[in-house]
Amino acid sequence: MTGRGHETLEHTADMGLRGWGGSPAEAFEETALAMFELMVDRIGAAAETDHRLSIGGRDLTGLLIEFLNELLSLADIEDMAFVSVSIERLEGGGEDWELDAVIGGIPRGKCRKRLLSEVKAATWYGASVERDSDGRWVAGCVVDM
Amino acid sequence: MKVEVEKIGEFLWEIPRSGRMLVPGRIYADDESMRFLLKESRTKQWDALAQVRNVACLPGIVGASMAMADIHPGYGFPIGGVGAFDTGEGVVSIAGVGFDINCGVRSMVIDVTKERIELNSERVAEELFNSVPAGIGSTGTLRLSVREIDRVLVEGASFVLERGYGVEEDLEYIEEGGTVAGADPSVVSPRAKERQLKQVGTLGSGNHYLEVQYVEEIFDEEAASAFGLLPGGIVVSIHTGSRALGHQIGTDYQSVLRKASVKYGIPVAESELMAAPINSPEGKQYIAAVRAGINCAFANRQAISGLVRDAFKRLFRLDDGQIRTLYEVGHNNLKLETHDTDEGRRNLLVHRKGATRAFAAGRDEVPVRYRRVGQPVLVGGTMGTSSFILVGTELGMAETFGSAVHGAGRMKSRKKALKEYRGEDVIRDLAGSGIIVRTRSRKGAAEEAPGAYKDVERVVAIMEGAGISRRVARLRPMICIKG
Repeated sequence: MTGRGHETLEHTADMGLRGWGGSPAEAFEETALAMFELMVDRIGAAAETDHRLSIGGRDLTGLLIEFLNELLSLADIEDMAFVSVSIERLEGGGEDWELDAVIGGIPRGKCRKRLLSEVKAATWYGASVERDSDGRWVAGCVVDM
Repeated sequence: MKVEVEKIGEFLWEIPRSGRMLVPGRIYADDESMRFLLKESRTKQWDALAQVRNVACLPGIVGASMAMADIHPGYGFPIGGVGAFDTGEGVVSIAGVGFDINCGVRSMVIDVTKERIELNSERVAEELFNSVPAGIGSTGTLRLSVREIDRVLVEGASFVLERGYGVEEDLEYIEEGGTVAGADPSVVSPRAKERQLKQVGTLGSGNHYLEVQYVEEIFDEEAASAFGLLPGGIVVSIHTGSRALGHQIGTDYQSVLRKASVKYGIPVAESELMAAPINSPEGKQYIAAVRAGINCAFANRQAISGLVRDAFKRLFRLDDGQIRTLYEVGHNNLKLETHDTDEGRRNLLVHRKGATRAFAAGRDEVPVRYRRVGQPVLVGGTMGTSSFILVGTELGMAETFGSAVHGAGRMKSRKKALKEYRGEDVIRDLAGSGIIVRTRSRKGAAEEAPGAYKDVERVVAIMEGAGISRRVARLRPMICIKG
């Protein structure tokens, strides 16, 4: 694994996500990008709108699951395809982590041909956020397709 | 940890009780299917057999943690998983229902000949494709206020029936008559409702479909006659669920049940198996929310069936009497049922995750018209292969709490399917075999390629061989509409 990145993991019915980076924030961003890429063809897509998101009061893995599920809900309610993510703040400890993020999107109506699949939810199955032996933060879970 | 299995019947395998398992695991499979499952268990990160074992550790589980012949890995419960829980000591688990609450299949018998469909196939495909909203972000023809959504969550199919979708007789052929009692909209978040305002009457995407099929073969004359199935007859099947509302209920209750698992000291072998005691405030609240999701799915399929009905009336100048709901059955469900067990008659909360109810003849839940033969079980195939209509049996009542398979079951991951198939090729090949596919997503067509699924013939043969359900009819696809 390079400094930061993401991948999807084979799962018969659904899909595993994994994102990694030098900090929890980078690992979260990369995991979110792995999820976006199931939903939309991001190649060459430029965000047209920004959406702010703040969540908190969870352990670190719980924060990841809530973050991914917030992105799914927001995309649905705003009818957006999300293509970029920037976590401006991710801090806390124990059972009380929080984050602020800015999500870049394109209205679905403007990018119908880019839409790929629907993700129903981020689950706790295979969910973790931890440091590997190289000191990188690795995050991931299975999403329901 | 490696899972050990023992063969205890020609088509039945057991994971013997060990460690924290409260009951054994039972899997319906033939030798080849079990070899595949064991190989996956040894080599893959996600393991369906381990999931069967983990469910067997949940408090209050009765009989066995079971998986039907379409078993494949899910999240927490396996797909094809059935778990029945004592209503006193048992728990309710999100993983046993999933995020597409009451996803299921409605089949309708249409009084039009196969030849007329064949002669007009492009026109039928186009009309259905244009009539039924499908695909990511699609919106329904019903525009509802939050107050009306609350009514959908309580009234289910009857709410949309009142709005002119379908006919009164439809309700008799839906599980629970299209309205499950005990739904409470006040425990469903405003966000879940907001997401559903425009989604009632939408098919969705992924493995959801609308299919025009013909009856290729009848196996059980008596049951087929009761179900109104004739050789060459036309059936339309709709596969969809509770859409975004169901997804959001599952999402919202993950944190509630996660906390409840800790609060009540429920031993959870794997995180997504989070659960709450059925009688705890958290458990009751989740069940009331799931029932709201169940009603939402009933309403969704009723709305789509109304659109399909109107499309066929327009296409072939049919009247309502020539279009009849055969049955509708859910396969991601939570149901309070009465079953005869070794300890006498008991009320059980039955989780079916990718498994359908399959009640035998004589049960009150089966519509009067079918009661002497048993409940129809609607088993979806793939775009290119057959679907089946089965019927429940007495042995099924005794062994599986009246449950059977829900589909062919995936064999290859979506990722693998995308590597092996191209959507354009899948659609062209199917056209070559006389099956018209209309889809908004080529990627979806590749992911759902027939080769990504198990052989549905084998899956239903295993269940019949085990005596759990009997084949009534095989349906061949003619037109397939996907999101």
